[in-house]
Amino acid sequence: MRQTAAYLFPSVSRWLLPLLALLVPGVWGAEAYRQPVYVGSKACGECHEGQAMGDQLTLWLHSRHAKAYTSLAKPEAKQIAKWSGIPMEPQESAMCLGCHATASQAEPWERDDAFSLRQGVQCEMCHGPGSEYMDEEVMMDREAAMLAGLKMPTKEDCLNCHAEKGSHRIVLGPSDFDLDKAWQAIAHPTPQDWKLETLQPPDPPRAQQPGPAHTGVAVCAECHAGAAWGYQYSKWQASPHADAYATLGTAKARELAAAAGVTGDPRTSMQCLKCHATAYHQPAAEVLDTYALHEGVSCEACHGAGSDHADDAAQKKAGEPLAVHLQKTTEQTCAACHENAHGKPFDYAAAVAAIAHPKIPPEIVAELRYKTPLNLALHPDGRELYVTCEAAHSVIVLDTATRTKVAEIPVGGQPMDVCFSPDGRRAFVTNRLDDSLSVIDVGSRQVVATLAVGDEPHGVLTDQAGKLLYVLNTATEDISVIDTGTLEEVKRLSASRGPWALAMSPDGSRICITNMFSRFVEPRTPSISEVTILDTERAIVDDRPTLPGTNLLQGVAWHPSGKFALVTLLRTKNVVPMTRVSQGWTITNGLGIVWPDGKTDQALLDEPGMCFPDPAAVAITPDGRLALVTSSTSDRIAVVDVAKLIGLVEAVSEDDRQHVLPNHLGQASKFVVGEIATLRSPRDIAITPDSRTAYVANALDDSVSVIDLAELKLGERIDLGGPREMTKVRYGENLFHDAKITFRRQFACHSCHPDGHVDGITYDTEPDGIGVDPVDNKTLRGILDTAPFKWSGKNPSFSRQCGPRLSAFFTRLEPFTPEQLAALDLYVCTIQRPPNRYRPVGAALTEAQRRGKAFFERTRANDGRVIPVNNRCVTCHFPPLYTDRRMHDVGTKMALDTESKFDVPHLNNIYDSAPYLHNGAAPTLEEIWTVFNRQDKHGVTNDMTKDQLNDLIEYLKTL
Amino acid sequence: MHPRFLLLAVLAFAGLISNALAAEPDPAAKTPIPSAGPNSPPTAPPVAATPDQLPYVYTKWKHFTVADGLPNDHIFAVKADGNRVWVGTDDGLALIDKKTAKVVRVWKEKDGLPWRVVTGIEVDPKTGDVWLGLFGRGLARLSGGRFDHYHQLNSGLVNDVVYAIAMEKDNVWAATTAGSSRYNTKTKEWAVFTEKNAPMEEIWNYNVAYNPATDKIHLAVWGSGILEFDCQKDREQKGDPWKVYLDPDGEMEIDLYRDDGVIHVITTGVSPVKDVFWVSSYFGCCRYDGRHWRGFYAHETGLPSDFTNNVRARSVDECWFAHDKGVGVIADFPTDTVVSYTRDPQTLRGVAQVYRSGKLLKAVDMPEAVPQNFAIYIDHDGNDTWVATGKGLGWAIGEGYYPGLKTDPAWLAGAQKTGETSVTVNAQ
Repeated sequence: MRQTAAYLFPSVSRWLLPLLALLVPGVWGAEAYRQPVYVGSKACGECHEGQAMGDQLTLWLHSRHAKAYTSLAKPEAKQIAKWSGIPMEPQESAMCLGCHATASQAEPWERDDAFSLRQGVQCEMCHGPGSEYMDEEVMMDREAAMLAGLKMPTKEDCLNCHAEKGSHRIVLGPSDFDLDKAWQAIAHPTPQDWKLETLQPPDPPRAQQPGPAHTGVAVCAECHAGAAWGYQYSKWQASPHADAYATLGTAKARELAAAAGVTGDPRTSMQCLKCHATAYHQPAAEVLDTYALHEGVSCEACHGAGSDHADDAAQKKAGEPLAVHLQKTTEQTCAACHENAHGKPFDYAAAVAAIAHPKIPPEIVAELRYKTPLNLALHPDGRELYVTCEAAHSVIVLDTATRTKVAEIPVGGQPMDVCFSPDGRRAFVTNRLDDSLSVIDVGSRQVVATLAVGDEPHGVLTDQAGKLLYVLNTATEDISVIDTGTLEEVKRLSASRGPWALAMSPDGSRICITNMFSRFVEPRTPSISEVTILDTERAIVDDRPTLPGTNLLQGVAWHPSGKFALVTLLRTKNVVPMTRVSQGWTITNGLGIVWPDGKTDQALLDEPGMCFPDPAAVAITPDGRLALVTSSTSDRIAVVDVAKLIGLVEAVSEDDRQHVLPNHLGQASKFVVGEIATLRSPRDIAITPDSRTAYVANALDDSVSVIDLAELKLGERIDLGGPREMTKVRYGENLFHDAKITFRRQFACHSCHPDGHVDGITYDTEPDGIGVDPVDNKTLRGILDTAPFKWSGKNPSFSRQCGPRLSAFFTRLEPFTPEQLAALDLYVCTIQRPPNRYRPVGAALTEAQRRGKAFFERTRANDGRVIPVNNRCVTCHFPPLYTDRRMHDVGTKMALDTESKFDVPHLNNIYDSAPYLHNGAAPTLEEIWTVFNRQDKHGVTNDMTKDQLNDLIEYLKTL
Repeated sequence: MHPRFLLLAVLAFAGLISNALAAEPDPAAKTPIPSAGPNSPPTAPPVAATPDQLPYVYTKWKHFTVADGLPNDHIFAVKADGNRVWVGTDDGLALIDKKTAKVVRVWKEKDGLPWRVVTGIEVDPKTGDVWLGLFGRGLARLSGGRFDHYHQLNSGLVNDVVYAIAMEKDNVWAATTAGSSRYNTKTKEWAVFTEKNAPMEEIWNYNVAYNPATDKIHLAVWGSGILEFDCQKDREQKGDPWKVYLDPDGEMEIDLYRDDGVIHVITTGVSPVKDVFWVSSYFGCCRYDGRHWRGFYAHETGLPSDFTNNVRARSVDECWFAHDKGVGVIADFPTDTVVSYTRDPQTLRGVAQVYRSGKLLKAVDMPEAVPQNFAIYIDHDGNDTWVATGKGLGWAIGEGYYPGLKTDPAWLAGAQKTGETSVTVNAQ
């Protein structure tokens, strides 16, 4: 392992690097903290306009780039956003704006006052922020300008945005984008004999009396944009009015102007500008800097100069009536310019209809919302059952006597687990999407408090006294300990990776916690998962027993004797090549036994001929006789005779307990005494204190089933009120969570991508070759638009990824039908990317993140060397997806790899999908560069000091 | 770093290691008496006390060495946590159960300890997790029996040579040879403090301590005096959180003007308590109460040496220093009363000497005191105190401990008088 001088000898490098910098005058430190600002198309147009400069501004105004922001107001844009897993207005989504606007990733201070994001894809989208190179002196020297930050993009750079995205294809159909034609269409060459002859339009006429000033459309848009205002700005920008100035730059305009006796460029003619540019149409007392000539005929052309109105609006709160109103428009307002303009007839009514821009928000079409019950808890008095419904963002209350739904309580996003205070007065619900905990007053069935916890909270439980509440934060891998009196978090305990569910020992002294993901292990070694044991008296972690060879520990229950706890587990055989499914060669499923002394045992629930995939929850009858285990992807409950199970493990040798039983497929029949078929996707299970009844949450049936434990039969179905209709997406979700697709039902898509995310381990799959090319599993969250798929980039679409190839190499059974495949694709598309935890929407970057951004975008190393374009972070990790979706060799080829080029992964929410690199060799982001970037091929990083690398990583986490 | 400092540092650390491995040190020559400077602030005169008013003297000691189950005799760190005492050595971590006075658990690299040399130990009071500073391998967290390893290649830790650690609310601070790092155990964010963003003339951070009373972190920086970091200011982003305490005499090894600042910029330790902090250096020790500095030299106080490896305050009036020639205790600051604990190299018996303003009041001969005179680290544990040395760990058992002074104290009652000022205590 090579370590950089800066890491190993920081104090030496501290002298050495500045010393070296002195040898290269003027470069030390300047690059890292260069802070260019986006100046906007108006500033560019001051030089790049007029025939002598190839009418470059006009060409841009005529292009679709100039309308890119406005296109996000179309209904299709909302559909595309939906398929991209973006649950918000496209015009407010950083992901959409990333390709439909310029500087969308920039902070406010990085945008000049005259810059407007709403002008779509402007010059600086491709050429870089202009403040550093816009000076005439710099721009006259191309080399100097490029050193100052001017970019000259290649044709291929267009593909960063224009490579077809799955979401767009679904809505708009196959793309007809032709790179060569597009390149030609937007061509704006500088003439060979170019001259810097700035267009000199006359000053706009000034009003004789004091009054409001022209502000320009950007100021109007501060209010009159977005869905709530009926997209008024976008309606204007889509209209010919917005092109009115640009049309003056055309040959036809010059012809018409000449015919009308205009000499010179129409863009400098008062006669033409009077009807083609706002400030020339109606004189105002003043024209503010925010106004741009090239915005054509904008709001103030008809509604009058708006500065007073804008000032009034700025001082008022939303909804307050304004004192200063704009002038009313009449037919005469339009007729002044349109009547017989260029000999064309004018139909006022038709024209007004064409440009109508009422403040009417688009109609919101209510979407079908399923319930997706995941977990449930019986009230201490046994009369009510609370069920968390992930998709409905609610908790449903069932009456256990009447077995009916009696209430539905809205809580936070994606509620996961629920528990009651021991006195039954309050219920606590974890909300995975919102990173919060809802506190419900049981009497009033109202949420009375919501508090922030760690990222993606899942399991929740109070201690026996009800004084402390334990919340498992799955993504931050820790446990929030909350004082139930003050509802304040008093401490945060360290869990293992992906803490999931928890159960308290009968005497209340200990809590056993399952962790979804294996601890990090050396490459190509078996997983090892942890059960975290809490001492409830001190509220600390007391022990961390491990279960070798396991992952995805989920369900947990203590035996009433307190002598052991049972946990559900998977044994994924990721170390051996995935070449066969039979006999448990891909995944086996079972139970773990956790003993008080920290020892553990394992036994499989699979039979040789039929597996028990994805055990999700376990519950033990209060008499300690039976354990019920749900298989969430084969719709079954295994009934385990606990005494037989314990007897089995205690009867064999220590060696057999460690090495034989965990893999023995022929043992389940010795302790599984029954099987109960359930409805779709059973998850959590709860048993009444009298041991007579069990309740099961059927996640994909929107129901809770009642099980008669005397008969061990499925009983009544309690409907939770979800839609009856099976949408295509829901159908896909069903397929995703169904092990029927696999030979002997060994696993489902969900088994490796639990709930659409990752299982955190590395696989050796057959398509890449046996024994070579191990690959890290990738999350499916927000993945649709990041095609191609696989680290080898070989699969251009989901259809390819999940089609016959999946059958041939993974499931070894009949492939999905085309209909199934289409439904599955749609479901995967909708798996949302959670909100970024390190930079909430609209939040400014922290100082460290801001410094890190400068390093992400830097063009020079610390010693002043120019970093080649192809070796800069931002070149391959291009926003908004932070991938250019191409293959690159970044020097990470390792011993088992046959290829050196890998698909560039996207960086969105990169913090939640460790380990990193194509083979998962880097457990932390730091190691990508401290260990695996010896040749500086994965960006230039070996010159960076530790604090600089820390800053870069802080920024990466915000993407 | 100034080359002269670098040389001194190398020599000092070489001395620390060699002394830790060697036998008793030779008696040191006294340094010249510094003269009070004309502009130095007034130092409060000692409060008068009679010779029979004596501080508490630890006459009961228990030693732990390899023979008692420690993994190594070179002890670099000790931390008491209730009945559990964590011991960091040159080759492993040990846990002593105070109730049984036994070494109950040892971790070496084969047991999951990420690196053999443990130079810093802190226990998170909220979570019970044990944080370890590893000399050359970063930080480790021992939680529920699992070691988590943080180093400069896999985390934001600035450097792997960790000398000391401190807990500040949810933050773990690490003093390293290339600056300090702060890790937030809740947000998982790292911050680095070096000459780039802190007033460090040098970046060799030797010690770090948190004062919950003032919500301030103190850093002892080799060659840069004491840095004080106001955590509240930092959290609220209100002004510069840093304050620097330097020696106005600069880099000189003598104190031209006494009590005018930190006794020397080559500081090795800092221990805050309430609104006071105590400082150790290789050239003497000192105390600062927010207004007045007070320096302590061996030749005028009775402390065993000026070369001081570490410091641990028990109160604003009592502080213990780990010297290369024994343990020195400012036992009662107002009366200038000092107790030194050493091991007689000839008899191998323990010696405690009580001084007041440099005058010997009482010499106590006893079966055991410090295990070795090269003291490296100290931790207080209620009335007891733990002393880490170059050859074993000493447990000073504070039965009948009292702060300040007492006339005819109980520890003296059973002693056999053997001279004008000397007594022998044999009871164990």
